[in-house]
Amino acid sequence: MNSDDQLILEFQQGAREAFVELFERYREPIHGFFWRRLENPARAEELAQEYFLAILQNVPWYEPRASFRSYLYGIAVHLVAAERRKAGREVVENEKLDGRAAEGNAAENNDAGIWVRKALGHLEQSAREILMLREYEQLSYGEIAAVLRLPVNTVRSRLFRARAALKNQLMPVKD
Amino acid sequence: MERNAQHAFDAEEVMAYLDGELEPRRAAALAAHLVSCSECQEVAQGFRALSERMLSFEVGHPSAGMNEKVLAALDAGKSSSVSSAKDVPVHKGWMWPGLFSHPRVWAISGAAIVIALVVIGIPGRHGLPAPASHALREQSSGYKSWLSKDGTSLEHPQDFADVKSPANALPASSGKMPVFSESEPAPPASADEALKAPESVGPMIVQTASLNILATNYDEASVAIEKLAAAHGGYVEKLDAKAQNGNGQELSAALRVPTKQLDGFLADVRKLGHVEEETRSNEEVSDQYVDLQARLKSARATEQRLIELLGTRTGKLQDVLEAERELARVRGEIEAMQGQSAILVHRVNYATVQVDLSEEYRQVLGSGPISTGTKIRNAAVEGFANLESGAVGLLVFLFAVGPALLFWLAILLVPVWFVWKRFWVRARS
Repeated sequence: MNSDDQLILEFQQGAREAFVELFERYREPIHGFFWRRLENPARAEELAQEYFLAILQNVPWYEPRASFRSYLYGIAVHLVAAERRKAGREVVENEKLDGRAAEGNAAENNDAGIWVRKALGHLEQSAREILMLREYEQLSYGEIAAVLRLPVNTVRSRLFRARAALKNQLMPVKD
Repeated sequence: MERNAQHAFDAEEVMAYLDGELEPRRAAALAAHLVSCSECQEVAQGFRALSERMLSFEVGHPSAGMNEKVLAALDAGKSSSVSSAKDVPVHKGWMWPGLFSHPRVWAISGAAIVIALVVIGIPGRHGLPAPASHALREQSSGYKSWLSKDGTSLEHPQDFADVKSPANALPASSGKMPVFSESEPAPPASADEALKAPESVGPMIVQTASLNILATNYDEASVAIEKLAAAHGGYVEKLDAKAQNGNGQELSAALRVPTKQLDGFLADVRKLGHVEEETRSNEEVSDQYVDLQARLKSARATEQRLIELLGTRTGKLQDVLEAERELARVRGEIEAMQGQSAILVHRVNYATVQVDLSEEYRQVLGSGPISTGTKIRNAAVEGFANLESGAVGLLVFLFAVGPALLFWLAILLVPVWFVWKRFWVRARS
């Protein structure tokens, strides 16, 4: 199996199948990335679509300076930030997480999922992003550092604090 | 997840081990430790349980419509169908070409270069001529050609290599220009390497020259200036040409030429015509460079200490946040100083030459009598223009004075009317 970096370079050379394979690999993860962060399934799908179109548009200028996953999720993080700025709700994101949990997508989540989402909503944004990149996108510390432009040690310490805070948030539920 | 400080492994290390992020030797020790330490097993189990619990936050699947649209865009050649994604922010670190294709970035870069030039100044260089009303062309290349994409290093082959080598720099007492050798080593790979070791560097001199030349063959001379700059490894920074009726053509060019090529370049430029005025000046900037390097070194040491502090800290969260803010500030200072240092080195390596070229103007005889038809047409056009300007002038006058005139007439006419009526009635009676 070709690595992501090989595939993107092949696509730069004109191999259509390389992009199709990349799209197949990351279609669900990227869609999930936006879903978990925006809590709006319809908008998440729109953004995922815009995201892949942006990747297509920018492929000619891609340079393999870091891992391709860092590149992919770096764009996705920027896209989410732009979406939040656009919607003007970044500040109240955490507060609204609770409310939105009961909206249309509740059917797709079990009770445990709702509690996890509520607990994530109480985390500081940077820590939440690191934790989600690690747990859901399965990025390494180095990849998270590249995506968020932070030192690896900072990623590690923030991830530890985020996990501790999330555990504290979930503790009453567990009990 | 709080742990006894005396424990062999802290909880953060256990977490890194489970994530596969602990260094191999430490990971092996921790794996052996976990076998016998129930406390660490409990911590590890806590992390595993948390990860499993997080997976209960499930999401749906993308629709088939998304696949079709993306693959359709792929088949359409990544052009028209992706236009809707043009505003999507892209990870800047890996997208410089895309970033620089944006006109706003060019505008901001241009403004930054202009501000930098104004702040830094170029000693001995007189103000550039104001743009003439009949300017024919203008060209400006700025610093973008030699600053690297991240703005922290240089891309010209001569940069830094000249400055690094003490053999190239003449003693300050020699009173001569530093002569740079062609056989210098290649430019260093990183800005860090390039900007270090100022102690062994000789005097760093910024050179400027200015020439006023009267050209007998202006057209050839104006073309030759650009070619000469390129031939000597330099480039045109700014170029203005203008021609006004009744005067000869004039060209003003700001050129950047490698310092080691300056004498040869000036000799060639002098051949373009009669040199009416020539000035040269030197400015030593060694102290600025050394000071900049010292501050850079200090800032890097501070940055390193902060990084170590953050990596090993056990203090309060607030302390960590403050340390991170300080780290961001120090990094900003370092980047700014690297940029200043790069500009300084470029000014040393590339002399500034201001060339003002004037045409030796000869009055041209008239091209013959104008035909009667042309005269009538010109007169008609002039007459129409006069009519138009007169009408516009009248309208302007009426709008400007009219309201006030009506007001005063209304004020004055009422008493005049009464006086006249009274007089008229008496006269009749």
